[in-house]
Amino acid sequence: MRWLRNPWLHRLLGLVLGGIFLYAAHAKIFDPRPLVTIIWNYSILPPGPVNLMAIYMPWMELVVGIALVTGFKRRGAALCSTGLLIAFMVALGINAVRGINVACGCFSTSAEDVSNAWLLILRDLPMLLAALVMLVFPPPAEGPGAPTPPPSRA
Amino acid sequence: MRGLVRDTILLVIATLVLGTAANLVPGRQLAWWGKGFEPPRAGVDFNFLDPGSADAMRTSLPGVVVLDTRSATEFGAGHVAGAEEISYTELQAELTPERLGRLRSAGAIIICGASDETDVEQLLAQELHRRGLPPPYVLIGGFLGWQGSGLPVDGGAR
Repeated sequence: MRWLRNPWLHRLLGLVLGGIFLYAAHAKIFDPRPLVTIIWNYSILPPGPVNLMAIYMPWMELVVGIALVTGFKRRGAALCSTGLLIAFMVALGINAVRGINVACGCFSTSAEDVSNAWLLILRDLPMLLAALVMLVFPPPAEGPGAPTPPPSRA
Repeated sequence: MRGLVRDTILLVIATLVLGTAANLVPGRQLAWWGKGFEPPRAGVDFNFLDPGSADAMRTSLPGVVVLDTRSATEFGAGHVAGAEEISYTELQAELTPERLGRLRSAGAIIICGASDETDVEQLLAQELHRRGLPPPYVLIGGFLGWQGSGLPVDGGAR
């Protein structure tokens, strides 16, 4: 499993996953109002927090995307993206079990972009795996047991 | 572990600051809590109109604008005579100040869609009404209803 801690693998995963999050954010960040409709159509949240989700979710995607692409606080971003992806998959899963195909709001804010919920969950799985690799197998320099540099004598 | 928690909190704080700042920008404010989403309501955000009445309105009233929410392919294959294409996906780019001004001065707005379960035409009507336009009319049955009534069509499908 040492290859999972390869720094180049983490850079690559960060670039790909971060790029996906940035692309997802760009469609929603300029106008979150259509996103309200999409989140509402999931029929999971009560009316109150729907707007909060629409206000903050695109920014969370942007912040996480930038952090993953640049490598700044990459493990923190991996934890956030894991949380986001699990939340997306649970929301899609609930509707898939209900037999409802919703507009996922992943890369567009069109209520017309209705897709098969099970396929969307399947599409999110590789992204979740990438986030988990960055979270659970940090490169040696970033890991919890990383050697601390010796104190300077100056 | 402590570093991971600290980094995550930092990213969450950045999100909260940016999201809050963006939502305070005039013109794009959403209610924070409580109001929530209100689905489009017939009689408030829009009114339904049957194809025959829509055609009568279009031909007798000056400056009636017909907006078509269907995809570019469907629009190209045939649309209500004189209709304009509008994409709900790209609404922010589509509703330029000039276009909004033109819609405001229109005699009436009729929205024609695919009339499927997504009700995009109703969502568009609600959005236009929120932006200060009088409640638009939503064509009952969408383009298929119009076509089925034998009313004038531009484009491929006649």
